[in-house]
This record gives sequence, structure tokens and C-alpha cells, in this order.
Amino acid sequence: MVQDVDHGIALQMSAISKSFPGVKALDGVNLTVRKGEVHAIVGENGAGKSTLMKILAGFYHPDRGSIEVMGTPIGVMNPREARDLGIGMIYQELNLVPDLTVAENISLGAMPRRGPFVDYRSLAANAKAVLKELDADIDVGTRVGNLSLSQQQLVEIAKVVSRNPSIVVFDEPTSSLGDKETRILFNVIKRMRESGIAILYISHRLQEVMEIGDRVTVLRDGSNIETRDVAGITPDEMVRLMVGRDLTEMFPKLDLSIGDPVLSVTSLGRAHQFEDITLDVRAGEIVGLAGLVGSGRTEVARAIFGLDPAESGEIRVRGKAVRIRSPREGVSAGIALVPEDRKREGIVPDLPVRENFTLPLIGRITRFFLILAGRERATVQAFADRLNLNPPRIERPMGTFSGGNQQKVVLGKWLLAKPEVLILDEPTRGVDVGAKADIHRIIGEFAESGGAVLMISSELSELLAVCDRIFVLHEGSMVAEIPRQSATEESVMRAATGQVYA
Amino acid sequence: MMRLNIGTIGNVVVRYRLLVMLAAVAVFGGWTLDDFLTLTTLQSILDRAAVVGFLALGLTPILIAGQIDLSIGSIMSLAAYATIALQPDLGNVPAAFIGLGVGILAGVVNALAVVVFKVTSLVATLATLLIGASLALLISNGQPASSADPLFGLFLTDNFLAILTPRSVLFIGAALLMFVWLKGTPSGRNLYAVGSSMPAAISAGINVNGYIAGVFVLSGFCAGAAGVIQALSSATGSPIAGSVLLIPAITAVVIGGTRLEGGRGSSLATLGGVVALGALTTLSEYNGVPSYTQAVYTGLILILLITLDRIAGGDEGKTTRTLRSAAVAKQTQQGGTS
Amino acid sequence: MSLVKSDPNPGPAPAGTLTAGSVLSVLSIPLAIVALMVLGSFVSPSFLTARNLVNILNAYSAVGLAAIGSTFVAVCGGLADLSIPANVAMGALVALGAQTLVGPVAAALLGILVASLGGLVNGVLIGYVRINPIIVTLGSGFLLLGLSQLLVGGGIVYSEPSAFGSFVAGNLLGVPVAVWTFFVVALILHIVLSRTPFGRWNFAVGGNYEASAASAVPVRFTRAAAFVLTGLLSGMCGVLIALSIGQARPIIGAGYEFVAISAVVLGGTSLFGGRGSILRTVGGVIILALISNLIVLIGLPTPSTGLATGTIILLVVAVDAYLRRRTGAE
Repeated sequence: MVQDVDHGIALQMSAISKSFPGVKALDGVNLTVRKGEVHAIVGENGAGKSTLMKILAGFYHPDRGSIEVMGTPIGVMNPREARDLGIGMIYQELNLVPDLTVAENISLGAMPRRGPFVDYRSLAANAKAVLKELDADIDVGTRVGNLSLSQQQLVEIAKVVSRNPSIVVFDEPTSSLGDKETRILFNVIKRMRESGIAILYISHRLQEVMEIGDRVTVLRDGSNIETRDVAGITPDEMVRLMVGRDLTEMFPKLDLSIGDPVLSVTSLGRAHQFEDITLDVRAGEIVGLAGLVGSGRTEVARAIFGLDPAESGEIRVRGKAVRIRSPREGVSAGIALVPEDRKREGIVPDLPVRENFTLPLIGRITRFFLILAGRERATVQAFADRLNLNPPRIERPMGTFSGGNQQKVVLGKWLLAKPEVLILDEPTRGVDVGAKADIHRIIGEFAESGGAVLMISSELSELLAVCDRIFVLHEGSMVAEIPRQSATEESVMRAATGQVYA
Repeated sequence: MMRLNIGTIGNVVVRYRLLVMLAAVAVFGGWTLDDFLTLTTLQSILDRAAVVGFLALGLTPILIAGQIDLSIGSIMSLAAYATIALQPDLGNVPAAFIGLGVGILAGVVNALAVVVFKVTSLVATLATLLIGASLALLISNGQPASSADPLFGLFLTDNFLAILTPRSVLFIGAALLMFVWLKGTPSGRNLYAVGSSMPAAISAGINVNGYIAGVFVLSGFCAGAAGVIQALSSATGSPIAGSVLLIPAITAVVIGGTRLEGGRGSSLATLGGVVALGALTTLSEYNGVPSYTQAVYTGLILILLITLDRIAGGDEGKTTRTLRSAAVAKQTQQGGTS
Repeated sequence: MSLVKSDPNPGPAPAGTLTAGSVLSVLSIPLAIVALMVLGSFVSPSFLTARNLVNILNAYSAVGLAAIGSTFVAVCGGLADLSIPANVAMGALVALGAQTLVGPVAAALLGILVASLGGLVNGVLIGYVRINPIIVTLGSGFLLLGLSQLLVGGGIVYSEPSAFGSFVAGNLLGVPVAVWTFFVVALILHIVLSRTPFGRWNFAVGGNYEASAASAVPVRFTRAAAFVLTGLLSGMCGVLIALSIGQARPIIGAGYEFVAISAVVLGGTSLFGGRGSILRTVGGVIILALISNLIVLIGLPTPSTGLATGTIILLVVAVDAYLRRRTGAE
């Protein structure tokens, strides 16, 4: 037994491999985390970070490899057992009961009793003790639903810490936090580190990794590339290790002639979401809309399309002012939106591809109230072939297709509506490489034919490669417009995190 | 600006609706009737609240857990009929216990349908509502049973400490007991967690299915109790005793402020809601308003309140909602692996 | 697991392929009808006569209209309309009560209009305010039934003799007008549900509300319209019955909400939206009509029908829920 608390190994994951049908998510990943260190894990989307953490949390079982926690080998475990082993997880999305108090949430599932009753005094004392340990100033009697998001996150952390974990995983904890809240969070993490807890810190924000991390492991394509001391690495090096290839090879950029403005948005605003948004997209142009999760980028896209209409400001399409208060008005103004959450907002799984395709414009293939079945079938089949729908069976229920093919149909359904402006919110998330190339080709063709494209993506490398200009949002405001020539991962990230210089 | 004002007023009315209703009834009653604001009136209101009260009490934990039980009226009818019809064969007291047992049994059936067969509680209890009602009519041949010993249950409505009767004491006692359970014990608190955020409850190791099954059995028991009390105090076992009480029971719970979406509510609020609705009924009877009107205003109050709840709830606690949707998203992630 | 699911998976057999399961599901309703008829002919020699069969259908034609409306409600994800009995009563009472004021035809139309207004209230609250349909229609049904009782003071309204009244109560080409109405309405609304944009919207909204909204489908209108349609058809149901029997009482449509729901689920329309067909609901109505007739012929008391109906709803929905879990449809 090693007695040295500060430098003992808390977690050892060796040669972990995991495959899903068609995808090798992890390929022989090794990870060693010491007690009392903040170990950052970075990598592009799809590099395998979340799969690795889900294995650690007991949600997935690795195909191969071994896990040791505090020197003890761990076999197959479920989430409950992982928790009992002292592994705590803090996700982006919180897992709290809004209608119970802070104290009740912290002890949920194991409330102290006196006789048959809840011992409210020690319940509150427990909660206060944990929160004090975290230096968090929250009234333990408040309903969690009344707390701000960052306070809720502190409660979530307190919940995990109260179980005396030896390893805590933070998965993108700052994605919805402002600067001040991030400071508070970092102080909490430092305190946890001092008390000997091993911390795994997953983030896209390399500046944060530089600041809070002791060591960093870079994952790429399901393999660990390197583990280094943070003191000996620069953000640029990290990016190079993460990307590992020439971006332009992946996303070939078409050189198109750019025409007149098609979409012009002036001073668009919606309470509590975004304000004073001004942007324009010209014919043949692909414009990026960047920003952290929660910066308001999705909300802006939804407002332009009419899903959650704007409350102030003006939208013009080809110079003509249009009023958009519903998707129907958005469609008739010539705007289309491919939404962020495909499963939830993109497809109707039980309906066949054909009916999904014609949903927005069913009125256009109707005579005397009746749908023209023959024309519908022919149009959709022709379009499905153009999109390389695989398999090309338009009568099959949408839900039986792969994510990439579902996305092609969502894209295709809007192209069929012949919009002037195509807004894409995370168009290639969770899509395999082949379908990704198809989707980029389709978007390129649309721009080539004179359409205007506004594209949101969390994958900065994708935006940098595809876009002619990038607008950057931070906390609901437009903070930068960066032309292609001067756009780099760093310049966009700086703007997105609110560190804009002049 | 205009919208904000309406919203604020709506919010105030929604939040203090119990007081608003009670005050309105008291003022209107005192104004139209000389002898309305008396202890006798209070006694009568409380006494008559007992039957609907038990139905509403059973419904309270159901709604807190985010479920619904539409079958309580039918269960009450079955229990009421059993309580009287079995008296000659079994004796008065055993028959009453059978009435309670019928309620528990029906609750078990609901629990099975919801927890084991995974039928949404709305649809499952809609079906058991019909099954129960038909069963009561079948067994009774559509005829109410009259007690051979009509004096046995009369004590339930006797005068007791000026404003109470034994059956109103039972109801108020049950409400207090439930209050202590819901607010003071771990299982009570866990029930709120189940209704407020099921994924959080599951990840905290709470046996969610057990709680949901439990509240259905409890609701069946309460409906059985309502049936037994109603049958004994009227010395009649009507096979349609509970059929018109479902909506008043739901309305009373909603007046109290228990949320249809789960996670919030209190049995004392239900007690208040039952009394408020009872006061309104008593007031309209004293004023000679035909009984059909009660159905009209009860339905109107219900629809008005859930509409207001919905509109006011739309502004309140955006974090609550984002939190909830995020939690649901996570549950679907986890659900696949367990 | 969820990650596995979101990636390429073979899924169920593609539509259009003949599998044992799909053949069975297409034939199950006709098979059930034939089986019930065979059973009936054993129970009673008078069962399989043209007259008995027409009578059976006649008795269920009016409530069949409400079942057709309920199909739209179920398909668009609105679960069920429990205010059907109230709207039936409203339609019936107004259609007879207003006869002396505006004449029989206008009174019938007025009855349908009033019931449609009841449907409109449901539709606005469910479609636009987005309140749980069961609670809304339970409350509005209670309210409207109370109102209808208030209207007639708990009594009975009788029909004035008129040519229109005897036409509705009579036969056309040997078949009761009620049966004609049922089949003509069913045919028209079958086309509406399966061939028109409005029908397509119902499937889309019931299949995925959010995705439909994001596809510029008028989601709120669609849900509201389904309830207005059900109110209208309930009104027609009330008018038909009232004119056929020459009188109307507030309890005239008692229990019809359950008959409608069970016809819908028996026809294989999912109460949870996205799937369904009017023709199959018609099949469900016929099956229920046969079952209730059999119950009478066997000599069981009438409440047995309710018992059978409730059990059918519970069983069919439990199987539906089980199948949905197994195929992993979300």
C-alpha cells in the first residue's frame, strides 16, 4: 500500500477499447490520474472523451481493458456501483429536484432520520458543512428551482462531494457559466484538489485547461495521443495535438462569387436570450455563427426562422422587410432552419421519409385539398437520390435510418422548399464521416446556386474551414465579426469567451 | 407592459386563490344570508366536506408524484355498495372493512397497470374508471342497497365540539397525518422528488416504481374510505355514489394549489380546497341555486384555474424548466444502459 | 445503449414488405368481425339476419361519428375527448328545443353548431393554451353537462313531428339514414385523414410535436381543429339520436366517450399519436356493435358492455405500450 496521499494513483485505466456498431469509439486508451491533481482531458467532438467518462461512470462497459480505482481492480460495474466506489460525475446538465430545498437535494436518497421523521437539523447541518467546504454561500433552505444556474451547479457539486468521492469528473462545467461564476467554480475545484480528490476536467476551453489543470491528456479519434504537464504545453500545441491533420483537407472550401445581401438582420432582440443582434448574409456566402453553448446562437437562429420569434429588431430578405412570428411566416419569407436537435425537432420517426420530406410544403403539392400522391413520390424520390439517401427507400419510416441519413432528409426537406436563406444549427453533429462529406457537399451546392447560408457549429475547425465570415456571440450579444482571412481558432475563442480586444 | 400586468394579477390570484375564494364566499354569504356566518354553517361545511375530502386527499400524493387517478369515483361507488350490501351476511363492521379492502384492491389494480404494464396513468385509470363503474352497476343490478341497520352509521354525522362531526374529524385527522408524512418523513420528501424530477430521483437511488405503486394503493384506500363513510352515514350503498364526485375532488385539489404536473402540493392545501369548494356549495344551496349549477361552476373553476396555472407557470422559473428538460435528456441517455 | 441506437441499425422490416405480422395486422379486424358473426350465429339463429345486422349497425352509427372524431384526436396526440357525452347532449337538446323557434332543419344545424362551440373551447385550451386534454375535456364535459341539465331542468325535450324528423329517423333504400350518415361521413373523413394536408398534419403533430412545429406545420391549429371536429361530430351524433327516438335528455350520450375510445384503440389507432386510420375505427365500431349485441343475446346485463369496453381499452393500450417499448420507438 502506498501511503503517500498526494502522489498516489487514484485511477488507472489501461488499454480501454470500446466499439459501437460502425464506429470504434475508443482504441486502447490509457489514463492515469493521481490523487489531488486536476487532470484535463481535451479533444475534438467525437474524440472519445464522453465515451471514456461514461465507461468510468458505469454507463458503458469497455470491450477490452482494465480499470483500477485506488489500486483495486474493478470488474463490470453499473452506475450505482461506480458511485459507491467513490466516482462522482458532474455533467453539463444538472440532475436536481427543483421543488426540494438545497439541503434536501444534497442528501436526496439518504436523508438523516430521527425516528420516522427527517432530521431537518442535521440535514441542514450536513448541507451547510459541505457548502462551507466549497466556500459556497447558498441558503440551504431555498428551493433549488429558485436558484441561478451557477448556484444550482454548486449544489450539484455539493451533492457529489457530500458522498466523499475519491474521483470527480467535471464534464464541460463552465459551458453555461459567466466569468464570475467560473472563478467561483475554479476556487471550488482547487479546494477539492487540496483535499486529495482526483479531478478529471473535460473542456473545450483551452485557456481554462491552462489555468486549472495540472496535467492534460489529449484524445484524438478514440486514442490518447499524449499526456503532458500543463506547465510544459501551450494552447497552440494542444490544438495541434487535438487536430493532428490539415483542416483544409477535411473541409474543402469552394471559392464562390459573393453577391448582394440576402438576409439582413438589424438589432434583433428577445428578452433574457439575446439583444441587439445585427448580421447579414450575402448570396453565395456561408457565414458562421459561433459562440459557446448558451451564448444565444441557437436562439438567434430560431428567432430568424420564427420558432421563438424576436421581440424587437428587423429582418430583411433581399432588401424587403419581413415580419416573422411563426415558422410558416419564416418559410414564406424564404427562410429555412435545420434545427440543432435532430431527434427532437428534425424528424417524425414514425412517418415515412416521403412524408417527412414534404411536411413544410405539403400545400404546394395539393390540388382541391388532395395531396398529389404521384407527384409527391416522384419529387421526393428524385431528391433522395440526389442526396445519396442510403438505403434509397422513401417509404421506410424515418426512424429506421442512421443519424447521417436522417440529417440528409432534414436538409433535403428544406432545400425542396427552395429557400433563399438556409440556417443550419449543428448540421453535422453526431454524423459519420461519409454523411458529413455529403452534407458539406449539399450545403456547398446550395451556396453555389446563389443561396445564403448561416451556419452554427460547436466544431470550430468546421466553421473555420467552411465559412467566409464568422460572427461571434457572447452572452446574448454580438461581440465580433471576423473575416475568413483573420479567423483562427484562437481569435474566435477569445471573442466567444468575452475577451475581445477593441 | 400590458401583458406583464395581467400576468402579475393572474399570479396573485393564482397564488392566493384559496383565500380569495373563501373570502368571496364569506362576504357574499354574509351579505345575502342573515344566518350564513355561523358555527352551524361551518359545521355543516366541514361535515359534508368529509367524503369529497377523502377522495381529494387520496388524489394529493398521486398528483405530487406526477400521476393522475380518474378511477377514484368508481372505486368509491364499489366500496359504498359493498359496505351496505354485505352488512346482512358479515355484520356491520366487517362489511365496512371489506369496503376499505375493495378500495385497496382497486388501487393495486391501478398500480399494476401503471407500474408493471407501463400504461400511462391517464389511460389506465380511465379504463378502470369505466370497469369499476360497470362492475358496481352489474353487482348491484343498478339498485342501491339499503341498510337493515340504518342507525349504525348515524353517529358519523353527530354534533361534536360545536363545529365538528366524527366524519369531519376523520377527514381533518387524515389530512394532518398526511401532512406530517409528506413534509416530515424521508419517504414523503422522496415522493416530491419522484414527481418533480424523476431522473434525479432515480439517480439518487429512490425506488421510483415503488412510490408510484404506493400512491395508487393509497388513493384506492382513500376512495374506499370515502365510500364507506358516505355509505354508513347515509345508510345507503349506491352503486353510483362516487360517479359525480371525481371532478369536485380534482377541483378541490387544484384549488388548494397542488400542481397537475407533479412535484408540488400539500394535504393541508387540499383540506383548504375542499372546504372552499364545500363553502361555495353550501352557499349556493342556502341561496336555492339548483344543484346542476354546482356542476357548472365546479367545471368552470377547474378549467379557469388550470388555465391560469398554465399561463402563470409559463413565466415562472425558467431555470426549473431548463433543468427539467436537461434532466429528461440525461435520463434517456441512462435509460438505455441500465 | 442510446449511442448504439442513434447509429445505423437495421430497424423493423421496411413498409411494403409482406411479413406474417403485417398481413395479420391488416386482416385482424375483418377476421375479428367474421369470428364474432360466426359466434353470434351459434348463440342465436336471429343473429345472422339482415334485419338484425342493420339494427346492430343502426344502434352504433351515431356514436360511430364520435369515434371518427376521436380518431383525429388520438392521431394528433390529443389522447381522448371526454366531453363527448356533453356535446352529444347539447346537440340533441338544442336540435329539439329550438325546433319551434327556427324550424327542424335550422334547429338541427344549430345543435351541431353549439356542440362545435364546445369543441372549440376544448380546442383552444388544448391546442393553444396546451393544457392536458383529459383534464380539460373532463372539466368542460362536467360543465357542459351541468349546463344542459340547467337548460331543461333535468327533464325531457320532445321532438315536434316534421318531415325532416321522419326523414332522419327513417330509411333510405332500405338502410337507416343514420347508417348512411355514418358511412358517408366516415368515407369523407377517411379521405381527409389519409389524403389531405390537414390529415398529414395530424400524423405529424402526433408523431413529433416539436419537429412538426419546426417544419412549419400549424401544430396548434391542427390539435385545436381535431377537437372542434370531434365536437361537431358529437353534435351530429346527438341530433341523429334525438331525431330518431323523438326525444332528448341530458344523459342521452352517457358513456359514449368510452365507446369512442375503445372503437379507436380496437381499430389499432394509438392513443399516443402518430398512427391510425378512419377505416380501422369503422371496423372497431362494428366490432363493438357486434359485441354489445352478443351480450344482449346471451342474456348478460347491459353494464357488461362497459366492463368489456374498459377491459378492451386497458388490454389494447397495455399491448401498445409494450410493443412501443420493445421496438424502442420514442
